[in-house]
Amino acid sequence: MEALYKNFFRNKNNSDPILKALEKVPIFENLSNNELKNIAQLTHEREYKSSEYVFKKHAPAEGMYVILEGNVEIKDPESGKIFAKLHSGDFFGELALLDEEPRSATAICNSPSRLIGFFRTDLLTLIKRYPELGNKILLNLSRVLGERLREANKKLTKPK
Amino acid sequence: MNPVQKIYRLLLFVIAITIGWTILPFFAPLIIMLILSFLFTTIFLQAVDYIEGYTKSRALGVIIILSLSITLSILFIGSFFSNLGLQIKTFTSKIQKDNFAIDLENLSEKIKDFLPEFFSNWVPESDKIILIAKNFMINIFQNVLALLGSAGSLVFISFMILIFTIILLIEYHDFKRSLVKFIPNRYLEIGLRTIYNIEQQISKYLRGQILAASSVAILSIIGLFILNEIGANITLIVFIGVIAGLANLIPMVGPFIGMIPAILIAIMNNIENEPALTHYLFNIIPSPFYIFDIILMFIIVQQIDNNFITPLVIGESVGLHPMVVMIVLLIGGTLIGPLGMLFAIPAAGVLKVLLSEIIFISKNSHLL
Repeated sequence: MEALYKNFFRNKNNSDPILKALEKVPIFENLSNNELKNIAQLTHEREYKSSEYVFKKHAPAEGMYVILEGNVEIKDPESGKIFAKLHSGDFFGELALLDEEPRSATAICNSPSRLIGFFRTDLLTLIKRYPELGNKILLNLSRVLGERLREANKKLTKPK
Repeated sequence: MNPVQKIYRLLLFVIAITIGWTILPFFAPLIIMLILSFLFTTIFLQAVDYIEGYTKSRALGVIIILSLSITLSILFIGSFFSNLGLQIKTFTSKIQKDNFAIDLENLSEKIKDFLPEFFSNWVPESDKIILIAKNFMINIFQNVLALLGSAGSLVFISFMILIFTIILLIEYHDFKRSLVKFIPNRYLEIGLRTIYNIEQQISKYLRGQILAASSVAILSIIGLFILNEIGANITLIVFIGVIAGLANLIPMVGPFIGMIPAILIAIMNNIENEPALTHYLFNIIPSPFYIFDIILMFIIVQQIDNNFITPLVIGESVGLHPMVVMIVLLIGGTLIGPLGMLFAIPAAGVLKVLLSEIIFISKNSHLL
């Protein structure tokens, strides 16, 4: 009975941690619950040990990751410079959804972590299966990239 | 790795191959059913994905696409067999006539007069011809009976393929995700790329082949129509065209298979037709029953297909050297017959993708 009740009168608020994590990612903003579920069906949940690489610099890039649990460090392996320390709810590698350039930095887990992978092939499948949803994601992705470009321009034009 | 370990590994590999080879015949029908279901899935996947995008229901997409395809196939096969039945009935009534033996004797004499002298010894004596014709008819009846006998298992196999295809079409994306779960983290992205490339390779090849087969079918129908205009009297041209198109899916051998029904029907229809018997191709080459006209027409269709259509629609999709294509076809044909020839090229394409990814991984293993 409980299952039936849940199916028919389920709470609108997402209790699934994957859906919760996805709705916080800017490229999945303003999407309905069903649309988020369609995306979640295509994502890949992965577990990483502490000190395990998610990807290395110059490796072929296929997509982005959202951190469900744990900590990930983005760094340059040659200089040792740390670009970012990311925690649960953060995301990285989203540029790879659009271009086929190799990774520009290394991502390594600082603690046992659970990540969700969303890759270019998943995005292409999504565009084929749900064109409307695919368009929304591409629009969000363009907005994120636009914001980044604007920030980069500001930094470049800022008087030294 | 020390030499003893290497020998052990090699030994294990040889044992695994031997066991695999021994049990393969028992699983071969199942494997072929699964491969066929996978090929049908690849053909229909895009259409199902497209309908799902609009109806929001994958099951509905699968039902629409499969019921449409099954209805069209049943209509085509049903209409083909009923027309073929009529054709055979007419032909049987022709050969059941009392004067058929005399006709056949006259025919052999005419062909003898007609052919150059060095060929005339090749034509058998009239009583032999009657014997050959009788044996031919008996063979046809035996084959039809054998076909009816195997129809039961054919229905079962088709039903199983349909069930597998429905499951694969509905669960395709979930199956893929389950497969990805087995890939170690280190090879995740490269693994996804490999799966995607293989999918692309197969679907590109299949789409190309379907387009090429359709164009061969249409061109053959046009060609047969033109031959009819000059008096070839060939019936069932739509079906012959479709068979030629389907046969074209088997590279190199297919085009010749496509000619056979056209030639058989031309002989059946023109057996008592005097002008067809004394017909000359371009008024030079003797072409009884328009046989050489038909062969020439199919060669022209093949040339148009090979030089214009296939490069345009398939292009470099598989990108295999013609020599490799021939070797692969021979291997496929030797291993599992005509079906092997049908699967040989896409299988070689998949192996090519796998090989290039393995080479890439071994070269860039430090990056993974």
